[in-house]
Amino acid sequence: CGFEPVYGTGGSAEGLRGSILVDEPTTQDSFNLVAQLEKRLGRAQAPVYGMSVTLKVEEKGLAISGSNDITRYNVLGIAVYVLRNLGSDEQVYKGTVNTFTAYSASAQPVATLAAKRDASERLMTALADKITTDLLINSGKF
Amino acid sequence: QQQAVETASLVADSVVFASGTQELRASGNVEILQNGVRLRAQSISYNGATDTLVVTGPIYIIDKTDTLIVADFAQLSGDLRDGVLKSARVVYARQLQVAAAEIRRTEGRYTQFYKTIASSCHICESDPVPLWEIRSKRVVHDATERQIYFDEATLRVLGVPVFYTPYLRLPDPSVKRSNGFLFPELRSNGDLGVGLRTPYFFTLGDHADLTLTPWVTSKGARTLEARYRQKFAKGEIELNGAVTDDNVSNLDARSYLFADGTFALGRGFTGKFDVELVSDPGYLLLYGYSDKDILDSAISVDRARRDEYIGAELIHYKSLRDGDDNRTLPTLVGDATYIKRFSPSSLGGIATLTAQTHGHYRRADADPTSAGLSRDVVRISTSAEWRRDWLWSNGMMVAAEGAIFIDGYKIRQPRANPTLAFDDTVEVTPYAAIEWRWPMLRQGARANHLLEPVVQLVLSKNSVSGEVDNEDSLLVEFDEANIFEFSRAPGVDNRELGNRLNLGLTYTRESHSGWKLGLTVGRILRRDDLNQFSNSTGLTGSKSDWLVAAQLKVGESFDLINRAIFDDEFSFARNEMRMGWTTDTFQLASTFAWLEADVAEGRPTDTSELAFEGAYRVSRHWTLSSELRYDFVNDRTTEAGLGISYQNECAKMDLSVSRRFTTSTSVSPTTDLSLSVQLAGFGARGIGGGSFARQCNG
Amino acid sequence: QGASVAFGGLKHDASQPVEITADELTVDQATGSAVFTGNVVAGQGEMRLSAGRVQVQYATENGQATGRIDQLVATGNVTLVNGAEAAEAEKAVYSVGGAQIVMTGNVILTQGINALSGEKLTVDLTSGSGRMEGRVRTIFQTGGNK
Repeated sequence: CGFEPVYGTGGSAEGLRGSILVDEPTTQDSFNLVAQLEKRLGRAQAPVYGMSVTLKVEEKGLAISGSNDITRYNVLGIAVYVLRNLGSDEQVYKGTVNTFTAYSASAQPVATLAAKRDASERLMTALADKITTDLLINSGKF
Repeated sequence: QQQAVETASLVADSVVFASGTQELRASGNVEILQNGVRLRAQSISYNGATDTLVVTGPIYIIDKTDTLIVADFAQLSGDLRDGVLKSARVVYARQLQVAAAEIRRTEGRYTQFYKTIASSCHICESDPVPLWEIRSKRVVHDATERQIYFDEATLRVLGVPVFYTPYLRLPDPSVKRSNGFLFPELRSNGDLGVGLRTPYFFTLGDHADLTLTPWVTSKGARTLEARYRQKFAKGEIELNGAVTDDNVSNLDARSYLFADGTFALGRGFTGKFDVELVSDPGYLLLYGYSDKDILDSAISVDRARRDEYIGAELIHYKSLRDGDDNRTLPTLVGDATYIKRFSPSSLGGIATLTAQTHGHYRRADADPTSAGLSRDVVRISTSAEWRRDWLWSNGMMVAAEGAIFIDGYKIRQPRANPTLAFDDTVEVTPYAAIEWRWPMLRQGARANHLLEPVVQLVLSKNSVSGEVDNEDSLLVEFDEANIFEFSRAPGVDNRELGNRLNLGLTYTRESHSGWKLGLTVGRILRRDDLNQFSNSTGLTGSKSDWLVAAQLKVGESFDLINRAIFDDEFSFARNEMRMGWTTDTFQLASTFAWLEADVAEGRPTDTSELAFEGAYRVSRHWTLSSELRYDFVNDRTTEAGLGISYQNECAKMDLSVSRRFTTSTSVSPTTDLSLSVQLAGFGARGIGGGSFARQCNG
Repeated sequence: QGASVAFGGLKHDASQPVEITADELTVDQATGSAVFTGNVVAGQGEMRLSAGRVQVQYATENGQATGRIDQLVATGNVTLVNGAEAAEAEKAVYSVGGAQIVMTGNVILTQGINALSGEKLTVDLTSGSGRMEGRVRTIFQTGGNK
């Protein structure tokens, strides 16, 4: 049916695993993003490509209750990533992915704080997964 | 004072010179360039003895500061900086035009205009009256201070005089920062009455500024708002605050302070602080400063490197919610985390070691109802996680994972009732997992398709110890990011146990015409239900609800994300949608959130809210905007608003009315109206939007 | 005293005798003209006109050459120098009788550090005034006398 394993021999992403060195993280968000990217794309052994990721994270309150309490938050994330050839420093591919994770807010600060932090970590996991998918689906291009 | 001798270059169709008179007369497309000043005219005559130029027009003078002077006749100094111009027009930064019968330039610095009209609006032959203009007897522009001083100025709107002032000072368009009034805003609010906010901006040196905004309302509320900002070599701070004397509350003075700052502390560490104080709960919302319902002042330090993260944070909470008692809520929460990632040479793969301490403190010392109202907790958690992936030649990926989490709890003032004590304890939680993944790609003619099935078998302890009081894992989410996490609980107190099979399938279609569709389906199959989660999470039962998450993107203009959790009978536990659609004539953003009622999550009734905000550019200058937030469960509008704005190249007017319907002991429903007018051409921060500029038709 | 920008320095008494030296001279009695070629220098008082070739037209009265020079036509990188003022061009026609010089072709007139360039320069030697035409370009000094 036309599908063939992307990582298999002859697949367009053959050899991609372990060939990408993601730039050094600077914040807790980018630390989690790099960790998930290394999990999905392999830790760079002999990197051919470098990848820079620009993150933009924003939190929006919604589900306002009758007494004006914010009971739900969406954490929105946009990641613009640029793949470059480490040798020539030339841009090879550029992609933009975005998504959101959500968490509830209750009267319990400890519960809400843990939910908020988990939502940020999940957002980085989701963005890293979407970057990986975007790379695989476009792996024919580089 | 001997001025520097400068050379000027001149080009003309013809030049005539006469002996003994040191005169040069050039005519025909004359152009003079002299240290950055360019003059174009029909003819000039230059007298070397008196070093003056007599220029006949039409004259165009453009100088280095992007200022254009147009005149019919002029007598200028040799260096083109001083002199008199007749029936001239000066255009500053291609925006602000000042026309005058006569312009006198002196000392290369001052430009004095007599009988002037100043405006930045385009004037068309068919309709010569500009939207606004300032007529004044005399105007002086000081090129060094970059300020414009008006004497006896009248502001006219559509030719009608609306405002007179004997003296007015405005910054010229090249100024980025200058002391002075910012544009006023008219605000009216159901509870506070009508008032005019007139902000005044102080530049305090190059690295700090202060904005003071007095605001008096018709119902006697007198407020002074302040914003102070300062940048340091290694950091910056911003303080926002206000003090109010009103008769709405019984307090004699109401106030709030929000201060935050970020500093680079050296060796890669970043320090942040955030202080949030308010005098009484309703103040922030009533005066529109913030809709936060819980204040969190925090101080934190952290550093992130490729394989190491160090972070510590101390937060103080103060709830503004009705019915919250800040003594029995954990209002002091502290965390410190150290994470190390490396690739163990013997085992390969990636190992992650984590050490974390957490503590939270409740001021209350008594817990009569044994509900944990005085509980203080200190927890130390250490964990080791390891994962290794193998890639087979057929493109299959198999991964082995292992982890062990050790959590030690020290409780102070546990619940009095011994059966519910949840006292000191140590929890050890091991996991082992095998993950199988086989991503497939089809590069079709019209689109590329990626299909990625994932199956993960997880083994773990099969019984819940029940020794730990669940405080940090009460709000659980199930989404495409944690299908393959060992524990879907957000915190530590209720780590997910039991053997299970995590199934996930992601299908992505990217058409060559710019359509992108992403679909993820997930489900958890458990050997036995340890009943760790409440039903609204969709994770209950031996077979979890279906998780379906979809994203549809069309180029850069349309983006819809929907995430739903429903069981086999299609009864939804959760359904959330975010949609954004922008074209060059309209923008629409909408969110929908449906959450099943769940007392454990502090949600006694279902949540079902639709919200949207839209803006539609009706014509070149007019834009309508509206916003609505509707609560289906209580069948009531929470918030609604309408806005209209007019913008052209020289002015921007925004009129908006919004009504908030929520009520609480400290806040009643109120309607808020705001009108603000901005004139372009003064100060560098223009109103932007070239596409709004007026065009003369015909 | 202001930076002088006068180009009137070519003022000159055109009635003085003209002395011409050159490598070679050929005379044509019939037309009453003489052609000097090779490093030709025509001197008249302070003024010097040098060129590659100068053709001299003598004034004629009722058909007889009178020995007085009516017109000099100089071609081949012509330079005209008079005191501090100098002019260069491809061709110059000096009508001695009319006390007027017309220089054409890449004309550059310099006076001290001031310079004037154009396509055609017409100078009236008695008054010293001149007209430069044809996309005239000049560099001149301003300021200096405040």
